Amino acid sequence: MDIQVASVIAAALAIGLASIGPGIGQGNASGQAVAGIARQPEAEGKIRGTLLLTLAFMESLTIYGLVVALVLLFANPFV
Amino acid sequence: MFDFDATLPLMAVQFLLLTALLNAVFYKPLMKVLDEREDYLRSGDTGSKDKLAKAESIVKEYERQIAQARRESQDLIQKAQAEAKEITTTKVAAAQQEVQSQREAATQEIEQQKAAAFATLEQQVDSLSRQILEKILDPELVK
Amino acid sequence: MEILGALTFVNTYTLAELEVGEHFLWKIGNFTVHGQVFLNSWIVIGLLVIASLAATRNIQKIPGGIQNFMEFVLEFIRDLVRNQIGEKEYRDWVPFIGTLFLFIFVSNWSGALVPWKLIELPSGELAAPTNDINTTLALALLTSLAYFYAGLKKKGLSYFKHYIEPTPVLLPIAILEDFTKPLSLSFRLFGNILADELVVAVLVLLVPLFIPLPVMALGLFTSAIQALVFATLAGAYIHEALVDHHD
Repeated sequence: MDIQVASVIAAALAIGLASIGPGIGQGNASGQAVAGIARQPEAEGKIRGTLLLTLAFMESLTIYGLVVALVLLFANPFV
Repeated sequence: MFDFDATLPLMAVQFLLLTALLNAVFYKPLMKVLDEREDYLRSGDTGSKDKLAKAESIVKEYERQIAQARRESQDLIQKAQAEAKEITTTKVAAAQQEVQSQREAATQEIEQQKAAAFATLEQQVDSLSRQILEKILDPELVK
Repeated sequence: MEILGALTFVNTYTLAELEVGEHFLWKIGNFTVHGQVFLNSWIVIGLLVIASLAATRNIQKIPGGIQNFMEFVLEFIRDLVRNQIGEKEYRDWVPFIGTLFLFIFVSNWSGALVPWKLIELPSGELAAPTNDINTTLALALLTSLAYFYAGLKKKGLSYFKHYIEPTPVLLPIAILEDFTKPLSLSFRLFGNILADELVVAVLVLLVPLFIPLPVMALGLFTSAIQALVFATLAGAYIHEALVDHHD
């Protein structure tokens, strides 16, 4: 297979696969946060702050995949 | 994209310089201001505590005065009530006495009139009985 | 670049084009540096210093205007650092972590808010300094140095004992952690900022007007969160180095 074609497919796979795990994780975390707010509405501010922080952490996993994809597209060492 | 060069160390040095600079012109003076304000607030806190205690003592004093005034007024009311009761009892007694005396006077008068009436009646009884006798018997006989 | 270069013919007027990995190179002796990163970081530094000077030039007991705003910023940073490091030792670390936060935050927002495209450079383009891997790695390595410094200063050489505690079996993982920390810090920031700018650039390429606005707003939000994450993690790492494992 042509190395460029392989790179494009690999980039698509990288970002696609890397978004599965964080997607599940973020859904879980948000659900738990909503449950927490429903149980304890007075703790909403604290829960929201922590939730945003943890979401950013999970998001960065996808971003790692994106970085790999970008490397494959723009700075590919094999092309 | 991943081309590391002299940008990295220069950026690090530049960042450290920025930290030192901001420490001098931003963090130190403003932290000092914040700390001073906190101290000021804390000292203001104690002053306000004193004022609060004073206010509470004043409130207590006022409450004591109010309680005393209430007690006094209660006393006054009781006294007045007692006085009023006394007055009414004496008046009632006087009235009752008067009534009694009037009644006695009235009964006496009645007795007197009764006696007078009886006396007149007795006189009339004599004359009447004589008239009856004259009517039933002979008039001469009566004489 | 060759792959995405095919996209530009769609856009005949080239309102925007994607440029990744293009740099405005300066040569200093034998070294090359990325000129656009430095130009922009000087703007950011200038902004920060001017704001600080304006806030502290005429300090009042009752703050107003810029002083009030900067005090709010400082209190935010102080609370952040205190939450991570703890009441006892946080004061020494407010300048470092605070500058990390401010520099990253202002850099990210300057990249997202200012239309740098209008300023022509011989090559490359002005953008957030944080979308260059050199900048983020420099900040991340400084964070690593900072927590080593914190641990060594507080505990002396016995700081290295935490590598073999509670058991020497975990020694490789403990050493690996020292490498993954700066790596993940720098990649997280770099990836997020670059991704934001790329997404906006791609959208502008497809629909030049209005449609990219919500994505730009999202970019502002993530930029702020990433600055917060970087500062929080730096505080957490320093706290980890400072804390006593014995008691």
